[in-house]
Order: sequence, then structure tokens, then C-alpha cells
Amino acid sequence: MTQEPVLEIKDIVKRYGDIQALGPVGISVREGEFLTLLGPSGCGKTTTLHIIAGLTEPTEGTVSMKGRDITALEPPQRDMGLVFQNYALFPHKSIFDNVAFGLRMRRVPKPVIKERVDRVLDLVGLPDVGSRYPSELSGGQRQRVAVARAVVIEPSILLLDEPLSNLDAVLRKRMRLDLREIQQRLGITTIFVTHDQDEAFEMSDRVILMNNGGIEQSGPPEEMYDKPESQFAAEFIGEANLVEARVVAIEPGALKVKVAEAIFTAPAGKMAVSEGDLVTVMVRPERIEVSKTPVNGGNTLQGKVTGRVFSGDQIALTMQVAEGLEILCSKPSTAHYRDLRLGDPVWISADDCWVLPRAGVKTEGAK
Amino acid sequence: MNNSGRLFSAFLFGPIGIVYLLFLLAPIGFFLSMSLFRYDAFELYVPTVTSENFERVLTDSYYREIIFRTLKIAFLTCFFSLMLGYPLAYFLARSKSRWRGVLMFLVIAPLMSGIIVRTYGWIILLGQDGAVNKTLMTIGLISQPLQILNTEIAVLLALVHILMPYMVFPLFSALASQDPDVERAAGTLGAGRIRTFIEVTLPLSRTGILMGTALVFTLTAGAVVTPALLGGKDVQMLGQQIYDLILTTLNWPLASAVAFVLVVCQFLIIALYFRGGRHGPM
Repeated sequence: MTQEPVLEIKDIVKRYGDIQALGPVGISVREGEFLTLLGPSGCGKTTTLHIIAGLTEPTEGTVSMKGRDITALEPPQRDMGLVFQNYALFPHKSIFDNVAFGLRMRRVPKPVIKERVDRVLDLVGLPDVGSRYPSELSGGQRQRVAVARAVVIEPSILLLDEPLSNLDAVLRKRMRLDLREIQQRLGITTIFVTHDQDEAFEMSDRVILMNNGGIEQSGPPEEMYDKPESQFAAEFIGEANLVEARVVAIEPGALKVKVAEAIFTAPAGKMAVSEGDLVTVMVRPERIEVSKTPVNGGNTLQGKVTGRVFSGDQIALTMQVAEGLEILCSKPSTAHYRDLRLGDPVWISADDCWVLPRAGVKTEGAK
Repeated sequence: MNNSGRLFSAFLFGPIGIVYLLFLLAPIGFFLSMSLFRYDAFELYVPTVTSENFERVLTDSYYREIIFRTLKIAFLTCFFSLMLGYPLAYFLARSKSRWRGVLMFLVIAPLMSGIIVRTYGWIILLGQDGAVNKTLMTIGLISQPLQILNTEIAVLLALVHILMPYMVFPLFSALASQDPDVERAAGTLGAGRIRTFIEVTLPLSRTGILMGTALVFTLTAGAVVTPALLGGKDVQMLGQQIYDLILTTLNWPLASAVAFVLVVCQFLIIALYFRGGRHGPM
């Protein structure tokens, strides 16, 4: 896409006294995109969002919207709608007045306010709650009202600060889909902050993974999952077997690495390596094939089953392949995998594997 | 509610209920009946039923003036305490400054010395040769010392000072319990600071305003020592009138009638006030 970004933050740094909490961070957001800032608590994702919203002033760097520098603007002057983690509805105002607030501040004529509030309450699936008060609504309903209040002003960007974290598990799953649907229907550019990887993946066009005040990696969910660029990314997103290996040969587009006594072939990523380097090989637990009969060829390890957890549709197997080296595999619980018992000798093949730098080392060239 | 719940409630309310019954309702009953007795110079009072005490309180222009002045001073004290206390409470509730603890202490500090000590402090400050007059004369703003003592201004000034903690604390707790994100939300929706204050902060601190002003109002309306010492004979208020009638004139029936009128005034105003202040579920 060659389009100019709707929002761009450049070299943002936030310091509290001597402590650098964030940055330098740079993000650009495309029109209509659903972008997620994902990361553990304290990684700087909420600070980043607050800087975008104008609630926190960055120590360094600029925020610009549609090419215009808005770093110095107060929140009321920014064209953004923010949904807070605890919703922050006005407890003393009715739902109608809560949603109408932003329009009233913009001096929209009363009949228009009425029409737009009704329309947006309809959109979030709460057409009949206008006269109620926030304390009379359930958590999920309040959440929808908070979204309605933020989108009714038709902001250029919708900011969502962990809006699902106060909901119970079932409701949370449904709201993910609902939120995404509302976003799609309005076509509104959205930045979503969460620590929940499932949320991030289900909802986003693009995910930015943050850690220790910086950006670890960014990309579409599939790419983040398949091609993590650091051990942190591999572990934070999904489950991963991470095994130490040594590079034995470099071929065009591929690497040969030695895992325990076996040779694995893996696609060459963006990482710069040379022969003899120590690297980490990642294999996702569901991309492993386990066989009771010997398998020849590359990317194969021999071991025995040391753990077995059956959980209905899935079965998780732990297999020891070398002294101190265990591989986890999780599979749909088909007859083949169910029949594997503790102590059984097995052959494990992992054709789908990925090489990344060892812990603490960041990929060169990756931001 | 089930039986054990009821029992538990009774257990919770029991002790305070007994205290109220013995030390509040019983004395009120006592002075209510006393207010219907007839004053007698030799026997103090004759237990009959008469309305003459009330007639006197309500028709005598002397008492009417005192009732009016008492309510006026109570309203003004309330008003100024609120105007001065609100910014202070707001700062205390929102500030992350390390001076917050010190300021908090300074707000409570007046409660640590007795009301008489504080009132005498004001006499020293406001007297003919007091610090205020001396300063004003030194800088040449006035040539003659101002008469501040024995005026309503002196009483008002001291009452606002003395009762400030009763205003600040309810306001502080109301403001501190607000979710700061609610104000931020108003900001992101386009409300500037003043709009946010009027639309969000102020209405959400309503309980604090009601509590603080009700406390200050009742305490002022019933004040005795401060008006007596700073207002002298010129600024008579009801509390001090009752005190005089009981201890000096020994007219207990009339004192009871005045007290009854005072209690009814306070009760009515507070009741009306809380009724008017209640709307919307909170």
C-alpha cells in the first residue's frame, strides 16, 4: 500500500525522571487498518496509546495525523475516540447522555444528536438502553456503550485500551468478534492494546509486539506466528519448542543446523549467520509428526514418550529426545496419537521449523 | 432479608441505636416538653402546657432578628467554606506532589487545638492593636484601626477557618474516589478543562458538597463560643442565646423553645437540601 499513513509516530521516547519507560518507538498506521499493540504488562503499549491520545506527553518524538504534527495538541483537539479499560462511562449521566456527550461538545444540533446516538446504539446492539444508567448495565453492555460513545463522534482513529480484560471468558470471546465486526462495518482505523495473544490474532490486520518499552516485531498475525524473530516473540506468541542448535551449512534460502545428533533443514530467515554459530530452532507443538515406526531422512529425532495429557479434542505428548531435551507435541486426539503410551519409543519429524537467534540476541536489521 | 440477616442488622445498629435513644431522643423529648412549660421566677418552671414561649420566639423582633442572622451567617460560612475548600480538596485529591501529606496534616491541624484557643487566636489577630490592623496601618492603607472584632465579618472569618476541615474532608473523599479516567474520557470526547469540570467533576463530587455544606451549616447554626467571643453583644446568634437563657437568665422554658426552633430550622433546611440534591442513581 502506498497510501499516506493516517497516523504516524516517530522516535517516541517517554522518560520518568531517569527511567526510560518507552522508546524510541516508531509506528505508522494505515487507513482502515486494525492494528494491535501486544505485549506483557509494563511493555509500554498503554503508554504508547496514551501518547497517541494526548493523555501523556512524550519526552521526545512526534505524533502526526494525516501529515499534520499533533504532538502538542490536547486530547479535545485530537480527532480520536478512546475506549478505556474500565470503560470510564459517566456514572451520573444516562446512556443516551453518555453517548451524546462528544456530539454535544461539538455543538451538533439536538435532532441530529438524537438520530446519531440512536443509530450508534443500534449498531452496538443496544437500541433500548438510552434512558438507563451505567450502573444498571452489565459489563458487556457497558463495554458496548463505551465503544458507541467513542465512535459516535466519527473519529479518524479509534483507540481501544484493553477493553475486553474486565469481561468473563465467554463474553470476551464473543465481544472480540463483535468489536471486529463493528470496526469493519464502520471501516474505522483502530489501534487496540492487549496482553492477550488470542485477542490480538483474532482481531488484527497487523500486530506490533512490544517488550521492555520497545518494539520486538511487527507484522500480520500469520507471519508473527510462523516467523518470530526473537526468542521472546516465539515464546510470547503461542507455544514453542525452542532447541539450541549449531549452524553446519548455509545453502541458498536454507540453513542446515545440528539439533542433538540430527541434522535439520530450515528456511533461512532475515538473520545473518555464519557456519558454526549457535542458534535456536523453533518448532510449534502442533507441527510435529510422531511415528511409532522408524522414519528416515532429515529433521527427525528419536525419543520416547515421557508425558501424555489427554484433554478431549487434543492430546499433548512430551517426548525426551536427548539428555535434558524434551519436545512437546500437541495434536488432535486421533486414534494414532491416542495410542501412544508412556515409554513408547517414537520418531519425531519436524519439517516445519524456523531458526531464530539465541535468547537475548536480536535479529540484525529487524526493528 | 432472612431472619439471621435481620438479627445481624439489629446487632450492627443496636449499640448506636441505644446511644441515640438515651442521649439524643430523650433529651430532645425533655426540652420539647420543657418548651411548653411556663417560666416562673421562683420555681424556674411550672409544668403546664402553654404556647407563650414559642409565640415570643416567633413574634418578638429581637428573636426574629437573631434567627435571621444565625441563618445568614450559617449560609455565608457554608458558601465561603465551599469556595475556599473545594480547590484545596481538589488539589489534595488529584496531586501526586510529595507535599500532599504535609497539606493534609495542615488541614487537620486546626482540629488539634481547642475551639476556644483558636477563637482567642483570632481575637489577637483582629483586635484594635492586632496584627491585621497593625499591618494595614504600617503599609499606610488605613490611618485609624478598623473595627473588626464584634462584627459579623470577624465571626464569619473565624467560623470559616475553624470549620474548614469539615468541608474539606467530605469533598476530598468524594473527589479522590472518582475514577480519573472519567475526566480523561471527557477530554478525549472534546471537552476542555472547564467543560470537564462542570459536566463531570462537579456533579460527581455532589455527595461531598452535600455532606460538607450540611456539616458546616449545622455546626455554624449551633455555634456558641466563636460568636460569643468574636461577635460580642452586636452579633448575637441562636446558640449563644440559648446558653445565656439557660445559665444567666435561668429561663429554661424559653431556652427550650429557642433550641427547638433552631433544631427545626436546621432539620428543615437540611431535609429540603438533600431532597433537592438527589437525582439519578449513583
